[in-house]
Amino acid sequence: MNGLARKYQLMLKWQALSSKTILPLALVVELVVAFGFVIGLGFLYPSITPNIAKFLTTGAPTISLLMVGLVMVPQLVSISKTEGTFDYIWSLPVPRMVYVAADATMYTLIAIPGVILSLVLGAAYYHFGLHVSLLVIPAMLLIVLAGIFLGYALAHSIKKAQITQLITQVLVFFIMIFSPVMFPASQLPQWLAELHKFLPIQYMADLSRGTLTDLHVNLGLAFAVVGGWCLLGLVVTSILVQKRR
Amino acid sequence: MVAEYGTRDIVLNINNLYKSYIKGKLVNDNISLALGTGEIFGLLGPNGAGKTTLVSQIIGLAKPDSGSITIDGVDIIAKPGYARQACSFQAQTQVPINGLTAVQAIELVGRVRGGDTKTVRTRAKELLHNLEMEEWTTKPAETFSGGMRRLVAFCMAAVMPGRIVILDEPTNDIDPLRRRLLWQEVRTLVAMDSTVLLVTHNVLEAERAVDRLAIIDKGKVVSMGTPASLKGNGGLNMRIELTIEPRANTPTVPDYVLNTTVTGRRLIGRLRESDITPAVHWARNLKEKDVIEEYSVGPASLEDVYLNVVGQGNTLVSTEKEADRERIGA
Repeated sequence: MNGLARKYQLMLKWQALSSKTILPLALVVELVVAFGFVIGLGFLYPSITPNIAKFLTTGAPTISLLMVGLVMVPQLVSISKTEGTFDYIWSLPVPRMVYVAADATMYTLIAIPGVILSLVLGAAYYHFGLHVSLLVIPAMLLIVLAGIFLGYALAHSIKKAQITQLITQVLVFFIMIFSPVMFPASQLPQWLAELHKFLPIQYMADLSRGTLTDLHVNLGLAFAVVGGWCLLGLVVTSILVQKRR
Repeated sequence: MVAEYGTRDIVLNINNLYKSYIKGKLVNDNISLALGTGEIFGLLGPNGAGKTTLVSQIIGLAKPDSGSITIDGVDIIAKPGYARQACSFQAQTQVPINGLTAVQAIELVGRVRGGDTKTVRTRAKELLHNLEMEEWTTKPAETFSGGMRRLVAFCMAAVMPGRIVILDEPTNDIDPLRRRLLWQEVRTLVAMDSTVLLVTHNVLEAERAVDRLAIIDKGKVVSMGTPASLKGNGGLNMRIELTIEPRANTPTVPDYVLNTTVTGRRLIGRLRESDITPAVHWARNLKEKDVIEEYSVGPASLEDVYLNVVGQGNTLVSTEKEADRERIGA
């Protein structure tokens, strides 16, 4: 095994051991949230049909993956920054992006079970079928990685942890209420719908629906836009973590 | 300069280093240091003196404004990756080891630093044994006290030591017995051919542990040498301490008592060995006149040197000149 792969493996082990106390808790929370989401849809739309349930349930992976990338990652990274963790980690003979890769792997592993669970529960509870394409794997990975790298870039570009926390709160609100994930973009004011043409969020929802259902979406465009944002997040993260004070 | 390390090879060489985080406010102001193989070098100075900033630049966390840093002749400002392999570092901040046991944390760092599983395991076991930490070996770090976490952090720096081992306040929060054990392990690191850079403001410990030291104040190196050479600077290797009577005025100090500092009722000064007899006469006279409560004369400590240099903003260079003048006058 070459040196980088070995270091990646060791850093992943470090992250996994560090998270082992919160991991079972995170999984329980994901289970409860997934279950609650599926049941809750029935309260929100008492006359929900299998098709509406399918539309909403297949939008959920985007929301939960973005919550990990754009909320959990910046919050945990900013706490680590405040505690001086990175001063130690960056002093180890491990390329910084190898550490980021191990970190991103860990967050991905935390995020995925909830996604699978909400889909399976939703399909069973509301009796709709999923048309799962093999592309679902790269699609979900791209959504979660784009979120994680953008989250990393956000946390490393802002000095004060409190400001990062505040921004993540605003992001939750923006993703949940003002982004065309659980409803079509046509229901938004035109300027906001136009803005979303340049943001990755609705394309993430397209990736999710296009690879899980037979709904027609422009998958090529969705892969390109989310891929572009993922690359941007990766490049900015790489620049910020390599930067010396 | 080479004379300072005898025949030792220079491992770390820092030349004319300047660093500021805010424009115009220098945190490191023209620092030049050279560390030889196998020496324990102390970096002493008050809080905010620029010690941690200097270390940050050595391990590539920060970049100097100007100047050079080389390790084994390699320019580590251009190649920070080389510095991270060459230096093992015990940070002043807490290490991220929650969720890990002591042995897991130590072994992981050992393997990240390139050690094979068997060597790392043996060395981790040896360190935990030598520091009498065996009962914590498999306990999770979140149950550790601050001192225990710091000991684990030390082991993480010592498990596969680099060419340079940087220890930033390694003994904070550690009990006296394990402090002694830790210093023994530091000596072992030197025997393993590592150079130790000890960052501290604990002068008493540094005096016993280091081969050479530099005192940094306000970003500048204000004094450098062996503890003995600093204490015996200009022949002023003795100290006199007076405790002034509560209502008495501070007595006038004779010419041969130099570098005096007055803190509350305590007056401390330095003098040459040849001036002990008149100094004792002077002090006894003051005591008879009830100007002072008591006095003591003894060998100067590194703390005296430190307080002189840092406390008054003097440099030992000027002290040396004064002492020279004294000698010439005599």
